[in-house]
Amino acid sequence: MCDTCGCQTTKPSHQDSKLLEINKSLLAANDSVARKNRKHFGEMGARAINLISSPGAGKTTLLEKTAELLSGEFTFAVIEGDIETERDAQRIRAKGIPAVQITTGGACHLDATLVHKGIHLLEKELGKGSPRLIFIENVGNLVCPAAFDLGEHKRVVMVSVPEGSDKPAKYPRAFMGSDLFVITKMDLLPYFDFSIDEAIRCARAINPGISVLTLSAKTGEGMEGWMDFLKSESMNQDEDEDEDVA
Amino acid sequence: MHELSLVQGLFSQVKELAFQHQARKVIRIVVKIGPFSGVVMDSFTFAFEVLKEDEELLRHAHLEIIRPGARLCCNLCEREVDAEKEDLDFKGDMLPGQLFSKEKRCPHCGKGSLYPSGGDEILLMQIEME
Ligand SMILES: Nc1nc2c(ncn2[C@@H]2O[C@H](COP(=O)(O)OP(=O)(O)O)[C@@H](O)[C@H]2O)c(=O)[nH]1
Ligand SMILES: [Mg+2]
Ligand SMILES: [Zn+2]
Repeated sequence: MCDTCGCQTTKPSHQDSKLLEINKSLLAANDSVARKNRKHFGEMGARAINLISSPGAGKTTLLEKTAELLSGEFTFAVIEGDIETERDAQRIRAKGIPAVQITTGGACHLDATLVHKGIHLLEKELGKGSPRLIFIENVGNLVCPAAFDLGEHKRVVMVSVPEGSDKPAKYPRAFMGSDLFVITKMDLLPYFDFSIDEAIRCARAINPGISVLTLSAKTGEGMEGWMDFLKSESMNQDEDEDEDVA
Repeated sequence: MHELSLVQGLFSQVKELAFQHQARKVIRIVVKIGPFSGVVMDSFTFAFEVLKEDEELLRHAHLEIIRPGARLCCNLCEREVDAEKEDLDFKGDMLPGQLFSKEKRCPHCGKGSLYPSGGDEILLMQIEME
C-alpha cells in the first residue's frame, strides 16, 4: 500500500516521486525576450511605444496624422503588427516614415519574439540613422495583447468614440498595464452616447495613475496634447530600461 | 484569450525541467492564476487536457490550479484590502470591471475607492514527477 495517500497500488508510486518548486511565469520566455528588446531599443537610442486597441479604433490614422504634424521635434519609425497584409506599413511609408510590417499569420497579438524580428527588419530599413521613437502598432484586439510585454517603454491603450464608454470596464486588463489612455474620433462625439466621464472614471478605477488624452486625428482636435506627450517621451532616453524585470 | 499558447508555454517549461531531472513521467502540475489575469479557467483546463495527450511524458499529469483571492488597494490611503475577507462581495474570478457596479469605499479610511493590486500573475508553481 502507498504510504502517502493510502491508495491500494502495489508499486510505491509516490515514494520515488520528486516535487519541484518553481514559481515562474508561464510567460517567462516572452518576458525575457521582451527585456532584450527593451535593451535593443535603448541601444538604438529610441523609446518604444506599444499601441493597443480594437480593430479600427484609429491607430494607423493617428500615426499618419502624427507624421503630418511633425516639424522636426522628434523622429519616429513604426513596426506594424497585423494578422495579414502589408497595408498599414504602406500607409505609414506613404507619409515618408520608415515602417516595417510583421504578420502573425493568425495569432491575435504580437509577442516579444515577433517584435524582435521586427526590430531587425527595421534596422535594415533604416540603414545608419535611428529614430527617437519607435511605435509598435499591435494587432487590433483589446484582450490578448495586454498580457504580452513587447519590450516597450510606454504602453498606450486607445478606445474610439463609436465603441462606447463602457470599454474600460469591459476590458480592464488592457487598462491595468497602460501608461496612457487615448480616446479617439472625438469629432464623432455629437453622434454617439459616449460619456467621457464614465470612460475616464472606469479606467482610473482600474489604474489610478493612467494619463488620459482625447483627440480626433480627422479634425486635429486635441492633437497638441498627443504631440507634447511624444515630444517629452522622445527626450526621455535611456531611463528605466529594465523597469519590468520580473 | 490565448489559453492554448499559455498551455504550450507551460508544457515546454515542464518538459525541459523533466528532462533535466531525468523524469519518466510528470504526475502533477500546479499553476497559480491571478483573478485579474484574464485567463478563462475552462479554456485553460480544456487546452491542458487536450495537449497533454500528445506527450507521453505528460499523459498522466494532473492539473491543479491555485486561485488567489482578489487584492485591492485604496487610491487614497494606499492600504491593501482583502476583498473576500472584507466581505466586499468580490469573488476570485470576477473582472475588475465588475467593481464599478459596487462603488465600495475603502474599509480603512472610508473615503478612497478601491482598485486591483497585482493579481495578473500566471505562474508555474510546482511539478511532481517520477
Ligand atoms: N471620424 C473619424 N474617423 C477616424 C478617425 N481616426 C480614424 N478614423 C477612421 O477609422 C477607420 C479605422 O482607422 P484605422 O486607423 O485604420 O484603425 P486601426 O485599425 O486602429 O489602425 C478608418 O476608416 C479611419 O478613417 C477620427 O479621428 N475621426
Ligand atoms: Mg491599423
Ligand atoms: Zn483608504
